[in-house]
Amino acid sequence: MPGVTVLEIEGLSKSYRVGHLRPTYRPALLDLSLKVEQGEVFGYLGPNGSGKTTTLKVLMGLLHPDEGSAFILGSPLAERGWRYRVGYLPEHPYLYDYLTAHEYLDYIGRLFGLSPAVRRDRARQLLDLLGLARAADLPLRRFSKGMVQKTGIAQALMNEPDLVFLDEPMSGLDPMGRRLVRNLILDLKQRGKTVFFSTHILPDAETLCDRVALLREGRLLREGRLDEILELATSAMEVLVTGVDRSVLEAQTGLVAKSAVGERWRLEVAEDRLGAIVGAVERAGGRILAVSPIRQSLEEYFFKEMAADHEVPVGGFGD
Amino acid sequence: MNRLLAVAANTFRETVRERVLYNLVFFAILMTLSGLLLGELSIRQDEKIIKDIGLAAMDIFGTLIAIFIGVGLVSKEIERRSLYPLLAKPLSRDELFLGKFVGLGFTLLVNLGTMGLGLYLTLLLTGRRPEPRLLEAIYPIYLGLLLVTSLALLFSTLTSSTLAAVCTLALVLTGRFSDVIRNMKDVAPGAPGWLTEALYYGLPNFRNFDFKDRVAYGDPVPLHVLGWVTLYALAYMGLVLGLGLKVFRSRDF
Repeated sequence: MPGVTVLEIEGLSKSYRVGHLRPTYRPALLDLSLKVEQGEVFGYLGPNGSGKTTTLKVLMGLLHPDEGSAFILGSPLAERGWRYRVGYLPEHPYLYDYLTAHEYLDYIGRLFGLSPAVRRDRARQLLDLLGLARAADLPLRRFSKGMVQKTGIAQALMNEPDLVFLDEPMSGLDPMGRRLVRNLILDLKQRGKTVFFSTHILPDAETLCDRVALLREGRLLREGRLDEILELATSAMEVLVTGVDRSVLEAQTGLVAKSAVGERWRLEVAEDRLGAIVGAVERAGGRILAVSPIRQSLEEYFFKEMAADHEVPVGGFGD
Repeated sequence: MNRLLAVAANTFRETVRERVLYNLVFFAILMTLSGLLLGELSIRQDEKIIKDIGLAAMDIFGTLIAIFIGVGLVSKEIERRSLYPLLAKPLSRDELFLGKFVGLGFTLLVNLGTMGLGLYLTLLLTGRRPEPRLLEAIYPIYLGLLLVTSLALLFSTLTSSTLAAVCTLALVLTGRFSDVIRNMKDVAPGAPGWLTEALYYGLPNFRNFDFKDRVAYGDPVPLHVLGWVTLYALAYMGLVLGLGLKVFRSRDF
């Protein structure tokens, strides 16, 4: 049901105390406000020290905020009820060495008050889903980093949550693991669940997210749909050409041809000159393979924004 | 309550899988067995020696288990960040903290029970009559161990496990030699009386839980004395756990 707000943050601030004798307070999160709606995959982006993990920790009750408030699934943070419907994967999770993956998930299930049969079934399903079925009875101390990460994801889904917070879910995963988690996030979305995840991996955010928020030095820089943020630059087009020499092409079009894969050339053309350039390519004996609007990638946008004001980070730690 | 018991059950599982527990239990058994040897060497004192050494092993090694496992219960969770996923669940900080206490309390009970059984078996195998009266010493030992656990948990919420172990051990040793504090005036006449009195009454007095000699000699411990000891332990534990909860509730992780 789109339009229902499942997360609402209003003016959230958090600073960390530094030093003992003469403590100073360094802000990690400053006046953050944002909303996430049901069924969205929401990407929370920002460089190290921008306040991503701090935000998630405040929401999960691991940190006490200095100011501001937040509502999860319509309830204030202090209430306990919403926790039955929320999953959380911390960054670089550390689980208990002495437990097996199955025992750990069973323990988590007990905290939700699930019956033994439900705990057993869900643990088995999740371990299957995440490719850990064969390691279910091994102690977690024998797990690789990627396997621990997957077990962390499994515990976040043990209660079949409506809203899942994932802090760097792709961290420590191999390409197959990343694909698995990407598919898992898409599957959750398909089932009407909301996923809020922080990441450094911008192509993942670009592939998965309906909306993103960009954080820098504890402040919200931008929030919105990806196409709004990235502003499709339809005034410029990319033309992919083949079957013609570079020098002939450049002479006919008056443009600089950039090399693409193989015997292909890439031209960047203003939209109002597209017709003329297509004609010039044909006259030069070339063939047009594709014409597409030039779109800024999230990565390009991210680096542009981060470079815009490159001062000393405010938070500097705690992410 | 179910969540608290889930944490307690997991803590019990965690502690029984700790290597340090088995090392300490091994030494405790060794010490109890050494009582057999020493008993052979002393004339007509063998039974008392077996009881003395058996009860002392329970007390000393139980205390070491309570300290060295107790100090890691919360601080390790914080250092290793394993409590992050837990606190995001419908589990309050109070339930987590008290669940840890109950879990280790149960481990100590099982441990003390096993060692007690070992002592009874030793007495039985050497032809002595195992007396139920030994429980009059074992029960206060258990109360003392619970108090040590609560102190270890309190320090565990405040600092690293190493520093928490040092602080708990220091407090336990001071509490075991509380008479020295009371009689400090005799050795150091300059010491202010109010200070020694405050220390004597303020610090946990572990001598209150020591009935080993009395029981080994066959003297009964009246029920009302055990009642007062129980009240003292409960009051002190309540205070320490309350303080620990206050610290744990306000901490940022």
